[in-house]
Amino acid sequence: MEQEFARELRWNNLAAEYQTMLYRVAFANMHNRADAEDVVQEAFLRYMKDEKPIANKEHEKAWLIRTTIRICMDILKSSWRRRTVPLEESMPAASREVYLPYQIRDDRTLEAVLKLPVHYRNAIYLFYYEDYSIQEIAGALNEKEGTIKTRLRRGREEVKKILTEGRPENL
Amino acid sequence: MSVQEIGGSGKSGKERLQGYPGRKRKEHSERFQESLMQNLKYQEQDGREKAGSEGQRIDTVSMEKGRLVTGLGIRVNAVTRREAVQAAEVRHMSYEESDNIEIAVTEGYTLKGKLEGSQVYVEAKYDDGRLEAYRVDMERVPQQTQHRIERFAMETAEGMKSSETEEEREEND
Repeated sequence: MEQEFARELRWNNLAAEYQTMLYRVAFANMHNRADAEDVVQEAFLRYMKDEKPIANKEHEKAWLIRTTIRICMDILKSSWRRRTVPLEESMPAASREVYLPYQIRDDRTLEAVLKLPVHYRNAIYLFYYEDYSIQEIAGALNEKEGTIKTRLRRGREEVKKILTEGRPENL
Repeated sequence: MSVQEIGGSGKSGKERLQGYPGRKRKEHSERFQESLMQNLKYQEQDGREKAGSEGQRIDTVSMEKGRLVTGLGIRVNAVTRREAVQAAEVRHMSYEESDNIEIAVTEGYTLKGKLEGSQVYVEAKYDDGRLEAYRVDMERVPQQTQHRIERFAMETAEGMKSSETEEEREEND
């Protein structure tokens, strides 16, 4: 009974600590509030089911971000998802749904970031809007630091293109 | 006949050979020390004279023009700027802890600032992985500065001051 209570308390703390950040990461990928919430729930469920002990807080956070992004990718790749067209959420309003814990001066840049191809989008979003270091992003996305640096550089160029020309070429 | 007898100095040849360069070295080092001390004195005097004349020149320029705009002025401004922005140890301050944030995706950097008395602590993160921190002395920052870090520090300080006055106003109401 006590063990169960301790376990429940731990999950509650975990959810309180990461759910808003994971929601933002999920929303950056899904562009849809309901889907983003489902993704976060799924990520927590997978964490609970995964009995392997996680070494420290940094690993825990990286694991959760990685899993959240993976779930987003799985949903976005699914054939059902590709056949559907979102009705309610429009892209220009997407950045207002991210609920960052601080004020940003330029909504247009965040809109452009959310329009980026997925591999650039996650690296750029985590680096600039969640304030992660290149090392942390590499850990969370299971990539080399050099790859993340390249994505940041190329993603920046893509953002410039979107801001000046509209949509990116490869979307 | 031995060598000692020919020299007639009463010292062995070995002793003489060892003694002479030693004596010479001693004399040489004494002379060197003397000249070094003299050079140091001259240098000190020269430095004082130079500083005095530069100070006078600065005064003249500032009195004539009201502000330092000449070539000399630029140098003085550069020195002031160097003093206004000092490199500091990186603290890894989070966005939540910061008073002001600038996210420049297209430029490839983020800035975080925190007002601490008359100084602003600024942390810069670049997309090549560099992380730098600065301490900006607001009393030394020129009003019309174009320096990116100084301008950001000014925004941080002004933002915090205006939010403080707003809070005070709300409390009074």
